Amino acid sequence: MGKILESLPLTIVAGIVLTVIMIIATEAIYDSQISAPERAVSDMMNNM
Amino acid sequence: MEMELFLIRYLHVISGIMWIGLLWYFNFVQIPSMPKIPDEQKPAIGKVIAPEALFWFRWSAFFTVLFGLALAWRNGYLVEALMLEQPNIGFGMWLGLIMAFNVWFVIWPNQKIALGIVEAAADAKPASARKAMLFSRTNTMLSIPMLASMISAQNPII
Repeated sequence: MGKILESLPLTIVAGIVLTVIMIIATEAIYDSQISAPERAVSDMMNNM
Repeated sequence: MEMELFLIRYLHVISGIMWIGLLWYFNFVQIPSMPKIPDEQKPAIGKVIAPEALFWFRWSAFFTVLFGLALAWRNGYLVEALMLEQPNIGFGMWLGLIMAFNVWFVIWPNQKIALGIVEAAADAKPASARKAMLFSRTNTMLSIPMLASMISAQNPII
């Protein structure tokens, strides 16, 4: 980790990777919170 | 109520711009430039510019968190966000809290030693400077997802 943080470009790349992981985690949390009927409505709306 | 929320958000954003602006100044400008500065000119950075920048840096971090928490509380989502029931803003809040902790309890104490603001053994200075730099870089890394989270709370990406 120290090697990454010593390099500014690698620090930025690590920040972008963390952002992608955060977006995936956010989506997973939202998915786990939504109920089956809500998911059906959401899917239907997305397909319209 | 609307005016109060506007003011709290406005102060949160202004403080945040100063905090992250100075964080990026340290990491994108000052740290990479130090090796290129002649030794006789280095005190201008170490004795004048850096202490002044660090003053605004740590207090803007404090007020960003203060106004951010006040905003979440007045909007009624403070606990839900911190429990990640609202992950869009929740991740950003946690990253901001970790970053502010780093500023006050790691970067600032080590910078005080590195810059000679407090008395310390001569051999402690390089170690403190390195630790402060690595945690400053950690905050730079965390600022990227933190800002994505803050923006996505207003403009959802998923």
